[in-house]
Amino acid sequence: MEYVLEIENVSKFFHGLVAIDDLTIKVKPGQIYGIIGPNGAGKTTLFNCVTGIYTPEEGSIKYKGEDITGMEPHKIAQRGVLRTFQNIRLFKEMSVAENIIAGTHTKSKQKWYHSIVHTSAYRVDEKKHWEKVEELMDFFGLTKYANTPAGDLSYGNQRKIEMARALAANPEILILDEPAAGLNENETIELTNIILKIKEMGLGIMMIEHDMEMVMKLTDYITVINFGKEISQGEPSFVQSDPRVIEAYIGTDDEEDE
Amino acid sequence: MNKTTGIATLFIVVMAVFPFIVDSAWLSIGITFLVFAVVAFSQDIILGRAGIFNMGHAIFFGMGAYTTAILNVHFGLEIIATIPFAIIIPAIFSILLAGPIIHLRGDYLLVATIGFNIIFEQVLSNDVFGLTGGPNGIFGIDVVRIFGYELFSDTAIYYLAFGLLVLTLLIIRNLDTSAYGRALYYIHKDEIAAKSMGINVSYYKLFAFALGAAIAGAAGSVFAIQYSAVSPESFNFMQSVMFFAIVLVGGSASLPGIIIGTFVMFVLPELFTEFKESRYLIFGAAMVLTMILRPNGVWPAKFGNIPKFLKEKALKARKSEGSK
Amino acid sequence: MDTFLQQLINGLTVGSLYALVALGYTMVYGVMKLINFAHGDLVAFSAYVGLTIFTQFYGSSALSLVNIVIVFSLTAIVVAFVGVLLERLAYRPLRTAPRLSAVVSALGASLVIQNGIMLIWGPNMEIFPADVFPSTSWNFGGVIISFTQLVILALSAVLMVSLYIFINKTKMGTAIRATAIDQDAAKLMGINVNRIIMIIFIVGSMLGAIGGLFIGMYYRGLTFDMGWLYGLNAFIAAIIGGIGSIPGAMLGGLLLGLFNAMISGYISTEWAETFTFILLIVILIVKPTGLLGEKTAEKV
Repeated sequence: MEYVLEIENVSKFFHGLVAIDDLTIKVKPGQIYGIIGPNGAGKTTLFNCVTGIYTPEEGSIKYKGEDITGMEPHKIAQRGVLRTFQNIRLFKEMSVAENIIAGTHTKSKQKWYHSIVHTSAYRVDEKKHWEKVEELMDFFGLTKYANTPAGDLSYGNQRKIEMARALAANPEILILDEPAAGLNENETIELTNIILKIKEMGLGIMMIEHDMEMVMKLTDYITVINFGKEISQGEPSFVQSDPRVIEAYIGTDDEEDE
Repeated sequence: MNKTTGIATLFIVVMAVFPFIVDSAWLSIGITFLVFAVVAFSQDIILGRAGIFNMGHAIFFGMGAYTTAILNVHFGLEIIATIPFAIIIPAIFSILLAGPIIHLRGDYLLVATIGFNIIFEQVLSNDVFGLTGGPNGIFGIDVVRIFGYELFSDTAIYYLAFGLLVLTLLIIRNLDTSAYGRALYYIHKDEIAAKSMGINVSYYKLFAFALGAAIAGAAGSVFAIQYSAVSPESFNFMQSVMFFAIVLVGGSASLPGIIIGTFVMFVLPELFTEFKESRYLIFGAAMVLTMILRPNGVWPAKFGNIPKFLKEKALKARKSEGSK
Repeated sequence: MDTFLQQLINGLTVGSLYALVALGYTMVYGVMKLINFAHGDLVAFSAYVGLTIFTQFYGSSALSLVNIVIVFSLTAIVVAFVGVLLERLAYRPLRTAPRLSAVVSALGASLVIQNGIMLIWGPNMEIFPADVFPSTSWNFGGVIISFTQLVILALSAVLMVSLYIFINKTKMGTAIRATAIDQDAAKLMGINVNRIIMIIFIVGSMLGAIGGLFIGMYYRGLTFDMGWLYGLNAFIAAIIGGIGSIPGAMLGGLLLGLFNAMISGYISTEWAETFTFILLIVILIVKPTGLLGEKTAEKV
């Protein structure tokens, strides 16, 4: 398979406002793909189109060759496309472990009657998934918080829980929306290492990020977006020095003189 | 043993010996309490756990009751044989009714359920197909017969209701520790996050409805047996409002909360019959006050339905960290 | 044709009443996203208050215009006061609480008002005097329109137009609309949200009070629990027109009145309620935001 995710000529409008305009992005398996651009550029809108929350007006999105354009979010997630959110969407009153096991839901073989009667098939399924939760908590260093309400933990830990939850679904591609937002320096370093480890597992990752150090370190390929349009794409070193990118973030010389 | 299991066990033990410590008037109240507690628990599945604004739950309670009444009085079926129908028919109807409205925003769904309830009342009152009996309902429901034994004493009916309650509590406990049960919480707390985890929200909401309706239907059957009659006014939307309020005033998804809520809404008024006139006024004021003082209910639910081995591991990890 | 025109007149009259009540629901919902379940009971309360004022101070003889205005005004003021009290006691403490808690509080408040009425005036039906307005009526080729109906239609129209002007052409009205769109932004713009909410309850309650008085005059039989069902119907009218939209409530009210009249006139009165609710459910499935309502998007 050449590409795990193919976004082709995708456009999204909101009542005449062009949020994203003719974007083409192709992610290879095992690649970390960065999406960067100033605030309001349309990056999260793009992610929402990929994960099915929005339906693009134009273009197509293919996952492992299958057209998922406009498919319902849960169906896309069931196929192996999992995401985290910019503002962290955890189930705050529930314990960390209960949050993480939410990710295993699509892989669960329980039927409706298992909610009424606990057969041996149920026990096998539950055990398997709680053990997966245990594994993930160990990986993220969250073991001691298993029974703590997720909302009680630090922002950095909440990010980890969200990622653990996404990983619990055995995704093939992980969509991360500003994973470093709100993290301090130590937490960011920790996160960078975690993402590298995830890459080693063979997952593809598509990531929106503003932290340039992190982006340069982690990504294999980047697309830069501004006002919904692609303004540059390429390897990190190329994008870093592309004048169009610099202009988008900082502005041209003329603007600086004002 | 955690707190909730402890309370549940205590409650079950007390209710088990209840008939032996009270007189017949109280026994009847006890039966009513058990039946309504079951309905409240079933509403809790829909409203408390899945977070669906269902204000028409009396429909399913009523369908169960009327199914037993109609099948027994009009078609001569043995009461015992009517019970499976009283469970399945409300469940099917819940899916038919909720299906078209399940994707609606909370408040709209709420009003739609009220609408269904009112239509249901009219169907009952207008003696549709000559089956539903009109405003006076249906009389002359038979006695329960199992293996030749007749259960006509209040005590026998009490234990029938008690059995149903215990069954309901077991189902709810199994629900809470299953994937489907967890899915309901996820949907309640954050639908978008749930969808992003691959949870088909509409499917699970309908599941909640069906399960809640099935259990309410069973309770309806027992209700019909208790009174040997059914009438439309027991299943009007004021009743639905009561069930709605019980869950929220007591505490969503909270076992002690639901029990307290049922007790306050249905048993307490019996204690204060002298205040019968101002009963509902005091209720209403209590509802307002409770929400102001405890917006999450008198006894809010606590989470933490995780396997013991994880809890122990967490504890160990914390201890080893503390000793460093 | 006669029946149709007759039903049209009746329908518009009833519809005007629904509209007056629906406005109270829609204004509160628009700003607070709360279904004010107690509103219907407040309307019933107005009818009872009006009845008491009429019988206590005037006996039941026909009244001069001045006296009628006094009674209407007094009732409206009393009910507005209770409305503000309702907001302060049952809703304001729950502004930051989960939405369902406010719903329960609203239901509780409804019970309190309903049973308050019962405790004060008793559980039996009260009859509104028949001759508040002269009992004259006019016959236009088989279609009868009474003085009372005419007053209802005329006054409702005046009130609705006035409200429309108030909401759309005055500074206060703009503030109300701003608060309905985004409370926090409104606060940041210096709008006193508490005051806006109080004004909404005053206006809504007053309109409801006038509606209640008319309901008393038109239907004449009052029971303490009539508010619930009537209020529900008015709320459905608001939804049909587009909840949160003031023209929507007016339109929805009139349409519901016409719909009711047509069903009662041509099909049956026993199933009239059912048809109303079927209409509601159809609208909710097909266009939940109502005829004049707008969709709002959620930011993910």
